[in-house]
Amino acid sequence: MSTFTSTKQEKRFAIRGSWWINILFVAFALVVAYYLFNLIIYGKCAGGCVVGILSQSLVYATPIAFAAMTGLLCERSGIVNIGIEGQMLMASMVGYAVNVYAFQALQHIMDPTAAGNISRWMALLCGVLATVLLGLLLAVVSIKYKVDQIIGGTVINILSAGVTGYFYRQFLASDVPPGPGTFPVVAIPGLSQIPVIGPILFDQKPLTYTMLVLVFFVFYMLFYTPWGLRVRSVGEHPRAADTLGVNVNKTRYISVVLASVVAGLGGVWFTLEAVDTFSPNMTNGLGFIGLAAMIFGKWNPLGALAGALIFGLGSSVTSILAIYRPDIPSQIPQMLPYVLTIIVLTGVVGRAIPPAAENTPYEKQ
Amino acid sequence: MSNPSPALPNPANRSNRLQHLVDLIGIPVLAVITAFIFGGIVIWITSGSLLSVQQAYVGMVRGAFLKERALSESLVATIPYIFLGLAVAVGFKSGMFNIGVEGQFYLGSLAGAFVGQAFGQSTSLPAIILMPLSILAGGLTGAIWAGIPGLLKAKTGAHEVITTIMMNYIAYRTVELVISGPLKDKVSSAVQTPAAAQAAWIWSLSSIPARLKDPLNALGVALYMAIVFFFIGRWIIGRTNLKNRFQKPGQRRFASLGFALAVGALFFFLFPPFTRVAWPFQDPYDRLHIGLVLAVSASVLVWWLLWKTTIGFELRSVGANANAARYAGVNITRNMVVAMAISGSLAGIAGTVEVLGVTACHCMPVLFSTGYGFDAIAIALIAKNDPFGILAAAFLFGAMRNGADMMELSSGVSKYVISMIQAMALLFVAAPAIIRSIYRFRLRRRDEESETLEPRLKG
Repeated sequence: MSTFTSTKQEKRFAIRGSWWINILFVAFALVVAYYLFNLIIYGKCAGGCVVGILSQSLVYATPIAFAAMTGLLCERSGIVNIGIEGQMLMASMVGYAVNVYAFQALQHIMDPTAAGNISRWMALLCGVLATVLLGLLLAVVSIKYKVDQIIGGTVINILSAGVTGYFYRQFLASDVPPGPGTFPVVAIPGLSQIPVIGPILFDQKPLTYTMLVLVFFVFYMLFYTPWGLRVRSVGEHPRAADTLGVNVNKTRYISVVLASVVAGLGGVWFTLEAVDTFSPNMTNGLGFIGLAAMIFGKWNPLGALAGALIFGLGSSVTSILAIYRPDIPSQIPQMLPYVLTIIVLTGVVGRAIPPAAENTPYEKQ
Repeated sequence: MSNPSPALPNPANRSNRLQHLVDLIGIPVLAVITAFIFGGIVIWITSGSLLSVQQAYVGMVRGAFLKERALSESLVATIPYIFLGLAVAVGFKSGMFNIGVEGQFYLGSLAGAFVGQAFGQSTSLPAIILMPLSILAGGLTGAIWAGIPGLLKAKTGAHEVITTIMMNYIAYRTVELVISGPLKDKVSSAVQTPAAAQAAWIWSLSSIPARLKDPLNALGVALYMAIVFFFIGRWIIGRTNLKNRFQKPGQRRFASLGFALAVGALFFFLFPPFTRVAWPFQDPYDRLHIGLVLAVSASVLVWWLLWKTTIGFELRSVGANANAARYAGVNITRNMVVAMAISGSLAGIAGTVEVLGVTACHCMPVLFSTGYGFDAIAIALIAKNDPFGILAAAFLFGAMRNGADMMELSSGVSKYVISMIQAMALLFVAAPAIIRSIYRFRLRRRDEESETLEPRLKG
């Protein structure tokens, strides 16, 4: 019985083709975009403004990258998850509710700072737990009951919209006790003092760091460990994997659950890191944009991160544009990320081939 | 098993037919009931008393059927659901997930309102032209908006689920941009388009007697009825002994044409006086409009298109098995675009009918649609994409939507609970095995065999 080991052949596929040309191309595009942008806002963005934009785009990229990692882990194992949007919405609602009410309860038995810390971590945990439950629903429905996975994802989206809206109206719309607020910014000592890179990379909130670490961790796990090879083989050719002794459905269950943990992190980002309130439909399509980032990255974590960063950059540029050019209707820049998504999906950056066994339930012989 | 099932079941057998009907609607009905029970449990847990469950559901029923004008308000909400459910179903049947009906609905209503206003002001066209023109504009806009993702999928492989959702967001922003900018009503303080000309309005039922005083409008009604009865005539001839009398197709066409003209003339001369003498819909605050007739016609039309025409056959064959269809010589690319265009046009028409029939200002306000599109996906799936099943499912959803406000008012239970119920119903319809295991009813032996056999044949 042969065991799975990652070979040299595999490693070459991890970063596809001539990657340095891609990097050169992206750098060139960024420079061009920067000059165009300055042309539009009459050259008012330089120095600190640029650092601000880049730092902000990393912030905006965080939920998108989390969503992309979720989609990636699911799809690499052969499960299409379009319910990420709903999962994140659920996590953001649960996170907010737990954060506020746990703080209210804990306030009386300890000092507010400690209570805030504990309630935030509890909120994070509960948000993740909620998405894992939704993920299990998707997994059971699509693996055990062999329902079309797109329908399964749609169920999750509608269900989450309903559940979050319901709890919002019943418990969170009014008379909400004051909460402990979002995670504070954690400047990494030493590294955050580096001139340009410091404020961009090392002066962020915890989930943003988590995201950056996670992307590389997922990359390593998928392409350099036997587990990753199993996941990918299950997504590409489940029968072959099964023949070699991989438990296809178990692998898929595990992937979906892990992916849901990631989606939970992306969801609680909205209420534990971005803003201190919950509003219905606050995820606003970022889950779907995450899927687009994943496709942009050709189902590769590093590429997906690049895609997420581009979307993040688009969002932060939009907010700067609103400041310097109020005469441009805000809807036009607001449309840009969505237009960009469609352009990305049409394969302008090269045709992306999804895992072969996507959306097909596995039937053991 | 002691009694072996027959090798070839006889479809004409009466009990078999009944069994078939139960199979067809049993699961959806049980799914909806189970979903309501589930919703009740959620209300029970979150409010802590069974009484509020009862209050909530009684309130919903009262709001949907019993209070003043409740039934017609339920039907008003049903109308867009019918169109949009059909739109999603056409997509599903052709293998395209049109998640973007919301955006097509949005842009379609904008186009309808715009044409109704612009052409109405400048040309003073009569209703018989302007109303169909507005509807056509809405449908065309929806078709184009949906055709883009279809084309992108066909040409580049961009998956329509994500592109249509992105098109939704672009549609919202576009509408906002256009309404707050170039098309804004200069007179009104609200952000909305100028009101459409009266000739473009979709008639409310209470306005019909006044409308029919214009002979042109009466002619329009007669024409519509003639078309409907032309097809009814052909159907009757085909189904009864009359088909032996009219042997040649030309004779049949001639006979049904005569029948249609007779009915049309009857309507032209007798219907307007009838509405003046005895018209059941007198209440001017009743918002029910003739969009209901259009919606029902649309579902018949979609059924005819999908099951009785070559285009429909090709669409369905692509939806059932794209590879097989390609080998059989079907143009997959074209079918993707056609399917999306038909689907989008239905969504666009829904928007136009809604904006010209229901909104108080007969214009497009900036905050217009509220999530009809996503409900429509559930409607199509619960109805198993059957055009007539959609009528029932749409009415269910319309009644729930209409009853939800009353429910919230009388019991304090948030109306979002209906989204939960709808999602659960959708889940149970999509995974009937869950329903079967809850209610423990056995499949007939033949189905059990086929359920285990089918994937093996596939693999």
